[in-house]
Amino acid sequence: MHPATEKLISALSKLPVSVEACDYQERGYHFEIDLEVDKVRALAECMLAQGMYLVFVGGLHVKPAIEIVYQFASYERACRFVVRAVVKADNSMPTISDIYQGANWHERETRDFYGVVFTDHPNLVPLILAEEDVDLKPLLKKDEDLKEMAEVRWAPPIEEKTEAEKAEQG
Amino acid sequence: MGNLAGNGAVHVDLEPAADILKDNHYYLNMGPQHPSTHGVMRVLLEMDGEYIVNPQPVLGYGHRMQEKMGEHKNWMAFMPNTGRMDYAAALPYNHGFVALFERLCGIEVPIRAEYIRVITSELNRLVSHHLWMGAFLLDLGAFTPILYTFDDREQVLDILEDITGSRLTYCYFRVGGVCKDIDDNFVEKTRAFIKRQRERFDIYNDLVTGNIIFIKRAEGVGVISPEMACRYGVTGPVLRGSGIAYDVRKNEPYSVYPNFDFEIPVGSNGDCLDRYMVRLQEMEQSLRIIEQALDQLPDGPFLGKVPKKLKMPTGDCSSAVESARGELTYYLVSGGGDIPYRLKIRVPSYSNLSVLPELGQGILLSDLVTTMGSLDLVIPEIDR
Repeated sequence: MHPATEKLISALSKLPVSVEACDYQERGYHFEIDLEVDKVRALAECMLAQGMYLVFVGGLHVKPAIEIVYQFASYERACRFVVRAVVKADNSMPTISDIYQGANWHERETRDFYGVVFTDHPNLVPLILAEEDVDLKPLLKKDEDLKEMAEVRWAPPIEEKTEAEKAEQG
Repeated sequence: MGNLAGNGAVHVDLEPAADILKDNHYYLNMGPQHPSTHGVMRVLLEMDGEYIVNPQPVLGYGHRMQEKMGEHKNWMAFMPNTGRMDYAAALPYNHGFVALFERLCGIEVPIRAEYIRVITSELNRLVSHHLWMGAFLLDLGAFTPILYTFDDREQVLDILEDITGSRLTYCYFRVGGVCKDIDDNFVEKTRAFIKRQRERFDIYNDLVTGNIIFIKRAEGVGVISPEMACRYGVTGPVLRGSGIAYDVRKNEPYSVYPNFDFEIPVGSNGDCLDRYMVRLQEMEQSLRIIEQALDQLPDGPFLGKVPKKLKMPTGDCSSAVESARGELTYYLVSGGGDIPYRLKIRVPSYSNLSVLPELGQGILLSDLVTTMGSLDLVIPEIDR
C-alpha cells in the first residue's frame, strides 16, 4: 500500500471510522466506509487535509432510509473511497460544502432529486430542476420498487462466485 | 503537489446575490442563449461597472433526467443515452458505461476490441479538442482558427463515420467489445490523418499560439490554484493546467492504456493560456497513442461472448475513464437482474464549472468569456 494511503487510513481510524478494503478489479474502488451521520463532517475534513478530492455526492433510496453516497479519490495515486451515510430521522444531512466547495452543487442536486435537506448549506435552492418542481423528488422509488439496504449490497463471496459463473455460462 | 496535503478548510463566501443591490450594482444575464455559453446555460452576473461582483451559473435548461432513465433501461437500451450527454466526446462515455458492466459481471473483452476502443476514443478526444479550440478562439473574437480546426475535425469525423455509422452521438461500443471491426481502409486513413495533423500543428502555432493579442487575453486570466482545484474536484485538462499531472489513463489505468508510451502535459500557472497549451499538447499525445495502437493492433475477434441478458450480482460498482474534459465516473448500484437499481453519472464539466462563482469574482466581463471558454464546457453533459 502507498505510504500516503496508509497515513490516510490511520488518520481515519482515529475519528474513529472503520475502513474496509475492496477488490478494485471487481468494484472499481479501493475502500468502502459505512459512516454514522455525525461523523460526516469530520471525515470530510480529514479527507481534505490528506489531499483527497471529492468525486461526487449522490443519493440512494433504500429501506429504511435514504443513503448519501460520497466518493473521494486522490490526484496522486490510485486510491478511491466510497463512503455511505444514512440520513437523519428528519431526512437531513450536515453539509460539507464549507469544507469541499465542490459539494455545494452536488448537495443542491441531491436535494432536487431526493428531497434531502443539507443543514447549514448556504444556498439550498433548486439547481438542476426548475423552481416550481421543488417537491418533485424524481429519484425516490415507488413502494413496489423499493429494496432493503442489504439487497443492494455485495453478497458474501461464495454466492458472488456462483453469480459470476452463471453470467459466464449465460 | 505536496502543498495539497495539510490544507484545512478554506472559507469562501458564496452567498447568493442580495435582493437589494449595493450602490450602483446591476444584474446582467449572460444566456440562456449566448454564443459563448456553448449551449443553453445562463450565468446571472451581479456587476459593478464592467467588473463582476458575483457570477452564478443557472443550470438545468437541457435537463433530461438521464439518471432516472438509467434505472429503467438495461445496458443495451441505455447505450444511446451515453453518447448524448457529452456530444463532443461520446466514445469515452460509451467506454465508461460498458466497462461498468464488464467489471460487474466479470466479462472478458477480446484484446483487439480493447485496441479498437482506445484508437477510436483517442480519435474522439482529438475531435473534441478541435471543436474546443475553434470555439474557444471564436469566443475571443478570432474567426479564422475555427475554419482550420473544423477542416481537421471533418477528416476524423469521416474516418469515425465509416466504422461507427454516426458522426456525433456515437453508440459504437458493446459490453464485451465493439459492434463493428475496423478494416485496412480505416488503418490507412487514420495513418494519413496522423501525418496530416502533425503538419497542421505548425499552422495552429503560427496562427494562434504566439499571437500577442491571444496571449494578452489569456495569460494570467482565470487562475486556478492546485489547492482550489482540490476543493472543487476539478479534473481533466483544467486541472493539468494547474500543474497536477492527474489523468485516469495513468492513475487508474483501464483498457490497454498501460501498453502505450505517452506523457501527461501539465501547465504551471493554472491560467487560461496554460489550459490552452495543455490541450494542444494532449492532441499530439493522442496521436502518439493512436500510432502505437495501430502498430501493435492484434488480430482476433472484436466482440466477446456475452449472454443476451446480463445477470448482475447485487452490489455497487464504479468505473472511471478519462473523457476529453476530465474524469467521468459511472457509479452503479445493482439489486440483481439486468436493470440498474441506481445509476449515478459524475460528469467532469459539472465540477469544472462549479469553480466559476469563486473564479469569476472581481474579474472583467471579457475575462469571464475567456475563462468559461478555457473550461471547455459541454452543457448537455452538465444538465444530463
